[in-house]
Amino acid sequence: MRIRGLLARIWAGLSILLVLAVILFLFVFIFLRGGSVITWDFLSQPPSGAVLGEEGGILPAITGSLAFTLTATVLGGLPAIATALYLVFFCKSRRLGSLIHTILQCISGIPSIVLGLFAYSFFVRDLNWGRCVLSASMALAIMILPFIEIHAEKAFREIPRGFVESSQALGCAPYYTVFHVVLPSCRGELISGILLGACYAMGATAPMIFTGAVAFATSPKSLMQPAMALPLHLYLLIAQGTTSLDRAYGTAFVMMALILVSNLLVMIYTERSHRRWIQR
Amino acid sequence: MAKTANRFFMLLIGSLTVLAILSLAFVIWFVAKEALPLFREVSPAAFFLGTRWMPVDFGNGMSFGIFNFIMGTLAVSLTGMILALLVGLGASLYLSCAATQRVRTLLYPVIDLLAGIPSVVYGFVGLMVLKPVFIRAGVKTGLCVLAAGIVLAVMLLPYLISASSETMLKARARCLPPAMALGISRWDAAAGIVLPASARNILMSAGLAVGRAMGETMAVMMVMGNANLFPKLLGKGESIAALIALEMGTAVADSTHYHALYAAGFALMILLFVINLGISALRSRLLRRGGI
Repeated sequence: MRIRGLLARIWAGLSILLVLAVILFLFVFIFLRGGSVITWDFLSQPPSGAVLGEEGGILPAITGSLAFTLTATVLGGLPAIATALYLVFFCKSRRLGSLIHTILQCISGIPSIVLGLFAYSFFVRDLNWGRCVLSASMALAIMILPFIEIHAEKAFREIPRGFVESSQALGCAPYYTVFHVVLPSCRGELISGILLGACYAMGATAPMIFTGAVAFATSPKSLMQPAMALPLHLYLLIAQGTTSLDRAYGTAFVMMALILVSNLLVMIYTERSHRRWIQR
Repeated sequence: MAKTANRFFMLLIGSLTVLAILSLAFVIWFVAKEALPLFREVSPAAFFLGTRWMPVDFGNGMSFGIFNFIMGTLAVSLTGMILALLVGLGASLYLSCAATQRVRTLLYPVIDLLAGIPSVVYGFVGLMVLKPVFIRAGVKTGLCVLAAGIVLAVMLLPYLISASSETMLKARARCLPPAMALGISRWDAAAGIVLPASARNILMSAGLAVGRAMGETMAVMMVMGNANLFPKLLGKGESIAALIALEMGTAVADSTHYHALYAAGFALMILLFVINLGISALRSRLLRRGGI
């Protein structure tokens, strides 16, 4: 082996070790520091006391984050999958397809803070919805739409063309083909794309600072009221400085645990349902 | 019955697609509409090249120059990108040329975990871990462009690794067996053949990742120090995204300040758009030339 190969080998080995070490460090760091903060009260109580994070827990932030994420995933996921279906199976004009792709690319390039700006001016101010779950979720939905679309489109394109053509040749209507051939055969990838999109929405802070997330609120009961959210809660705790940093680790713990669990679920599910057409 | 259902379904797909595309196009139009009134009051040259940012009149007049913020954005993205390339390419080389299929299916989801971590958490860990290190190293507040670049690099890793290892896997499948049949050792072939063969595609995925880096708000904002200075590696700087996040809450609606923030966002969008355009032009040129 010449010197260049040796160097490459060392470089590759060190790099992958560094990457894995960083991942391990991030989770262990947060879990160790945050673990002592997590009690049942922390998870099940609303915040109390004059200063955020001093007493009480983060229940409204958890429920608020769930509300934001769920609304955004429904609002962004459905059009995203419809667009992907249209592009892969129904779009006949190549020019229209590339126009849609260009727009999707532009939007996926828009920084999330600009989306927050847009949602603030348009939904909160112009449409007069006020700061509420719906306004912020719209911003998040626009943010994750291209993300989910790209995942879904990739999954659809990986389905063997013969599957779809056979179904069409048997005279199946498009909706029958989609629901009985296309969607079942890439269910795993589709669900993983949607869940990753949901994680992305849950962790995003920038789009909801001005549009719906607030420092103190009860659990949201309707879409038209503001709510607390985990990432904003963490940001505010850090911004306050030293007194609330312990609690900040707790909030970070909850978010990291949610990410880890949902990723594990996706992993197990996709592993089991992966490429069913190859096995049968 | 089936016919009605089918017609309804096609209508649903069509209208959802139209809805998605129209609302996305609307966002672009809206941001442009809110940005343009600024240029009635501030000349584009003063906006893009000015270094004074004084959105509220304290007696010296207002000025809106985002040159330092543009440079800050570029500096932190570039730093992050270089660091991410340094580690990400090595890791992809390992994943594509050395790892077995089983190791790969195990490691990919683990690396993808990085993409799921919220950016505030990155910023938080950056503050808790990097800041003390940089203070000990002699940086006064511990907040600097390099620290933000390191945080950003970790955030970029999953995108870079998944894109470049995919390219390298293709190159490896094509190049490695013949090279090894010629008696070239695995790692010589990896460094001398697989890496150069996938260089162009890696360049393109790096370009896309730069776009992601420039739009990143929270993590960069928390670690970069946020001061209107020309960015130095160990000095403070401020990115456009951070500027918007920090000042939007205080800007009066429809004031010059408000339009200036929109214009800064619009400038960021244009910058990203130009980069994306350049990449896709490069890609189609390479495709025509028969690159990988």
